[in-house]
Amino acid sequence: MAPSEVHHLFHSPIADHSFSADRQTLAVARDNIVDLYKRSGQKFSLDDELRGHDKTVTGVDIAPNSGKIVTCSQDRNAYVWEPSPSGWKPTLVLLRINRAATYVRWSPSEAKFAVGSGARVIAVCYFEEENDWWVSKHLKKPIRSTITTVGWHPNSVLLGAGSTDGHARVFSSFIKGVDARPEPSAWGERLPFNTVCGEFLNNTAAWIHGTAFSPSGDALAFAAHDSSVTVVYPSAPEQPPKAVLSISTQLLPFTSLIWSGENEIIAAGYDCEAYRLKGNEDGWQVAGSIESAGRPGLESHREESALNMFRQMDLKGKAKDDTQLKTVHQNTISTIRAFETSGSGVSKFSSSGVDGRVVVWTL
Amino acid sequence: MSLQNWRTINVDALDPDSPANFDLSTLTPAVNPVSTSDVQSLQNQIRQLLRGGDSEGALRGALENVPYGADDRGKEIHLATVIEILQSIRQSEMSPILSRIYQSEGGTEVLDALMKYIYKGMAQSTHAQSAKQVQPQSTGFSQIHSRGGGEGGGQAMSVLLSWHEKLVEIAGPGSIVRVMSDRRTV
Repeated sequence: MAPSEVHHLFHSPIADHSFSADRQTLAVARDNIVDLYKRSGQKFSLDDELRGHDKTVTGVDIAPNSGKIVTCSQDRNAYVWEPSPSGWKPTLVLLRINRAATYVRWSPSEAKFAVGSGARVIAVCYFEEENDWWVSKHLKKPIRSTITTVGWHPNSVLLGAGSTDGHARVFSSFIKGVDARPEPSAWGERLPFNTVCGEFLNNTAAWIHGTAFSPSGDALAFAAHDSSVTVVYPSAPEQPPKAVLSISTQLLPFTSLIWSGENEIIAAGYDCEAYRLKGNEDGWQVAGSIESAGRPGLESHREESALNMFRQMDLKGKAKDDTQLKTVHQNTISTIRAFETSGSGVSKFSSSGVDGRVVVWTL
Repeated sequence: MSLQNWRTINVDALDPDSPANFDLSTLTPAVNPVSTSDVQSLQNQIRQLLRGGDSEGALRGALENVPYGADDRGKEIHLATVIEILQSIRQSEMSPILSRIYQSEGGTEVLDALMKYIYKGMAQSTHAQSAKQVQPQSTGFSQIHSRGGGEGGGQAMSVLLSWHEKLVEIAGPGSIVRVMSDRRTV
């Protein structure tokens, strides 16, 4: 395990983070503003702030090619920020939702983005040339509760979504004039808007925290609040899936997951560290933590003086200060994202959490 | 008409799409209804295993056939069955039995069910106790000296606590999270 890059940005939770394609800019959602950090040497320094939301920002995503930033917030709005000579220029998106927006992601084509919300809809947003405005279409049926997460299929039409009603669903978000007609896949052949290509529930029907399609798009994984990761392999349109594999772990629930290859998933969450899962259609299992247990640096205890030791025992009733977790993140990890991909898959990923840290990991 | 207080109107009740007007049971995993008599006959079978000295088989049998679809009465009978098995197993045997179950096919599911019964058992024994003991004194303080205070309940609790400890060692905090998040209750 190569050393990881740790950036402790501030002492408040990071709801979401996103790196630009050149990895020189880092956007983090901090309360109701989005901080933009620029890389300077080994560190990131604060460069700009995107102000506009008046409630907690819940999602931020930088489009890798166009560089546009989309943000969404509990104030029920989403903005698309574009660079202009006088700084970042926001454009309001017509989401038409009456509850908080919870999650936002650009589609791989960057022509659309999907916003999950507490209003039991997913707003699929696209740019309308004639009105010079971002408008949205709602994916509504059969969502019965808050959408907590969305994940795009590589073809930019299929969208995986996880909800607090315990279902992970695959929708078609095909929009005429914006999308090219997608190749038929195991998920479906004809895909008009709001086609439900799959609806999956694991045994416990717990909240879904994270969903992701595999790099090929032929499998969907979702992490739920019952500490499980479920991987679905579809067989053919309108047919029951080939395999639905649910892995119940001994750990605390995962909040976010990514595929680092066709047979490997990285998931992280309330245990404050990332885990690797390996498997295929025949079965999946947890292959251990990404952090090696005996990581140097954190473990090195300073030689305590006897006076200090007794003072500690007197003040706190214990000789050692055990308020530090053994993991790099000192609190729940809320988002993990692919940072760098090489030929075979993800080679580096980044994580951000409630402790205000953004960490880049090498696999 | 103008006296209508708009702020107190429950808007969700007027919205046909609102979750308030929606049968939430359609979202939960389907469970097959189980009749109380079935639970009772299962109890007898398990008692037989227990008399034969096969406490591990009895535990497995009880936890693999959890009557999620039974009514309150049926669930109570099954809880009593599970508690009976748990009390009949000696402390030194707990960990070996649990690790054997964990390593077998479908073991996590079985241990999750066990964790549910442990918590349900704890809830029940404290409930029975406090019902007896919450007698407000003349001082105005209610004296709940539980924590092993009640004779029968305290003993059952200590058995459940040692099972809980052993189970968390093997199935991890994940099993506790699953008790909280699982919509199928025992």
